[in-house]
Amino acid sequence: MSRRIWENDWFGPLLVVVVAVAIVGALNPSFLSPFNIQILLLAISVNAMIAFSQMIIIAIGQMNLSVGAIGGLAAIAFGGMMEVWGIPWPIAAFLALALGLVAGLANGVLVAFTGISAFVITLATLSAYKGVNLGITEAQPFYEIPATVKALGNETFLHPLPWLIIPCVVVALLLWYLLNRLPLGRSILAVGGNEHAAELSGISVRGIVITAHAVSGLLAALAGIMLVGRLQLGQPTIGDDWLILSFAAPVIGGAILSGGHVSVAGTFLGVAIVAIFTQVLVLFNIDPFLVQVVLGVLILWAVGINRFREVRAQRHAEQVAT
Amino acid sequence: MTDIRQERSGAIGHVEQRQSSRLTLLRLLLSNEFGLLVLIVLFALIFSTVSPAFLSKFSLYALGRTAAVNIMIGFSMMVVILTGGLNLSVGAIGVSAAMFGGLLMEAFGLPWPLAIAGGLAMGAALGALNGVIIVRSGLHSFIITLATMSIFFGVMIFLTRAESYRDISPVFTGFGRMKLFAIVSPLLIVSVLVAVLLSVLFRYTALGREMLATGANERAAELSGIRVNRMITYCHMLSGILAGVAGVMLVSRTGAAIPSMAGQLGQDWLLPAFLGPVLGGTLLTGGRVSVLGTFLGSFLVTMLTTGLLLMQVGAFWVQTYLGLLLLLAVLLDLFRRSYLTRRKLI
Repeated sequence: MSRRIWENDWFGPLLVVVVAVAIVGALNPSFLSPFNIQILLLAISVNAMIAFSQMIIIAIGQMNLSVGAIGGLAAIAFGGMMEVWGIPWPIAAFLALALGLVAGLANGVLVAFTGISAFVITLATLSAYKGVNLGITEAQPFYEIPATVKALGNETFLHPLPWLIIPCVVVALLLWYLLNRLPLGRSILAVGGNEHAAELSGISVRGIVITAHAVSGLLAALAGIMLVGRLQLGQPTIGDDWLILSFAAPVIGGAILSGGHVSVAGTFLGVAIVAIFTQVLVLFNIDPFLVQVVLGVLILWAVGINRFREVRAQRHAEQVAT
Repeated sequence: MTDIRQERSGAIGHVEQRQSSRLTLLRLLLSNEFGLLVLIVLFALIFSTVSPAFLSKFSLYALGRTAAVNIMIGFSMMVVILTGGLNLSVGAIGVSAAMFGGLLMEAFGLPWPLAIAGGLAMGAALGALNGVIIVRSGLHSFIITLATMSIFFGVMIFLTRAESYRDISPVFTGFGRMKLFAIVSPLLIVSVLVAVLLSVLFRYTALGREMLATGANERAAELSGIRVNRMITYCHMLSGILAGVAGVMLVSRTGAAIPSMAGQLGQDWLLPAFLGPVLGGTLLTGGRVSVLGTFLGSFLVTMLTTGLLLMQVGAFWVQTYLGLLLLLAVLLDLFRRSYLTRRKLI
C-alpha cells in the first residue's frame, strides 16, 4: 500500500514545525540564535524521552500514569547514590536505569497477571513510587552532582548541539527500528491493535505487556537522569509535571489511544511543537501560566484531527468495500 | 397422603429457605460495605491502642472534617465512573469552582450563599463542558479530561495570577470551623446529606436508573429509548457540581480560596478520588455504584492517613501506603469476585 506523503503521521506536525520556526524566526531573530537553539534542543532531548516512555504504552493500548513518578525516583536515586554513597556517575546512572526498569516491570507484571486496568494499577504505583521518593529525600534535593554530569547535561559537543541530544537520537532510532523492523515491535503493535487476535495468532500477550512496561520504565528513568544533569540537582519534584506532556506529544504525532498505531517521528515532532510553543510564550513575554492552556488545547486539537482521519479512513474503506 | 406430601414439601421448603438465608448472610458478609465497616472498626481499635490521642475530641473532629471533603471528591469521581468513563479534571474543576466563589465574595461583594451558588454553577458548567466535548467527539473521557484538566487549571491560574482570595465571609468560614456536640463537623453532615440524595437518585428516580443503564450497556440503553449522550453529559455535570462542593468545603475549612489547594493541575485529588469508589466496589467498567461503599471507602482512607500520621510513620511515606492500599484493594476485590462467581453467588 503506497501512501502519499501528506498522509504520513509526521507530515502534519512537520509542517507545523517548519511554519512555526519560519514565522517566529522572522518576527524575532533571536529565536534562531545558536544559544536559543541549544536551549530548545536541550528541552526537546529530555521531553522526547518522556514522550517515548508513554508512547510505547499507548502502542499496546494502555496508559502509564506513573511515568513521572518513575522518572523522579530514578533521578533522586541517581543523585543520592552519587552524593551519599560516592558512587561514580556511570555506575550510578546504570543502577538508576535498572531501578526504572524494575519499577516498569512491576507495573507490567501487575497489569498482565491481574487483568486490572493499567489506569488503576499505574495510579497506585504512581503514588507508591512518589511516596518512596519523598520518604527518602524528605522533599530536599541532592545538591552534590559531579561536574562531569553537570557539563554533560548543559554543554555542547558541536555548537549548538548539546550532549543530551545523543541519547535522544539513539533511543529514537532504536525505537523506530524496534517498532518497524523487529518481530517484537510488530507484536507490540499487534497487541495494541487487537489483543484477542494477537493472542490467537500465537503472541504471548502477557509477555508483550510486561516488555512494553519495562521499556517505558527504562525510558522514564533515562529522562529523569538526563534532567538531573540539566538542572544540576537531584530534585524530588522531577516528574511531577510530565503527565500532560507525555500524552500530548504522542497524540500530536498521530498516535491512536486505543492502541496499535504510534509514530516515533511524529512523537518527536510533537515534542518539538510543544517546545517551540513554550519558547514563544517566553520570547514574546506572554504569561508562562498559559503554557498549561496551550498544552491542553494542543491535545484536544490533535485528538480531534486523529479522530477525523480515523472516521474518514473508515468511510473510505466502506466505499471501497461496496 | 396429601398431608405427607405437604409435610415433605414443607420440609424441603424449610431447608431451601435456611440455605438461601445462609447464602444471603454469606453475601452480606462478603459485600464490600461490610468489609469496609470491619476494616474501619479494626483500624480504629489499632490506632486508639497505639496512640490514645486518636480518640481525643479534636482528633475525631478533624478526622470527620477531612473525611467530609474526601467523600465529596470520591462521589465526584463515582458519578463519572458509573458511565464507564473517568474524570481526571475533578481537582482542576474543584479549585476553579472554589476560586470563582472566592472571587464573587471578595471582588463583587456578593453575600456568601450567592457566591457559593455561583461557585457550584461554575463547577456544573465546567463539568457539562467536559460531557459535551466527550459526547460530541466520541473520544474516550480519559484524553478529553486530561486536556481540560490542563486548560481549566491554566486559565484559572492565569486569571487569578496564582493569588488567593482571603476576604471570605466569616459566617461561611465559621461554618467550616463549627463543632456540633464537640466532635461533629457540619461539613460531615453536608456529606451525609449529599450521600442520601445520591442514593435516592440512583435507587428511586428514573434519571438515576437511566444513568446506570447507560453505564452498564450503552447500546442496549440507547435501543430502549434512553438518550445516552444526554445521560453522559448529566453525569459529568453532576461530577463538576460535586467537585465544586468539595472545593467550597475546603474554602470554608481553611478560610481562603487558594489556587494550590489541590496541587499542581489538581493532581493531588486524583488518588482520593479513585480510592473511595474503588474501595467501595464501584465497577470501573460502569453500570454499578455503591454510594454507601464510596462513603465508607473515602472515610477509611482518611482514617488511615490520619492514623498513620499519628503513629509518626513520617508524613512523606503516607503516599506510598495509600498507593499500596489501592493495589491491595483492587486485588482483594478481584479475589472476592472470583470467589463469589465460583460459588455462584452472583
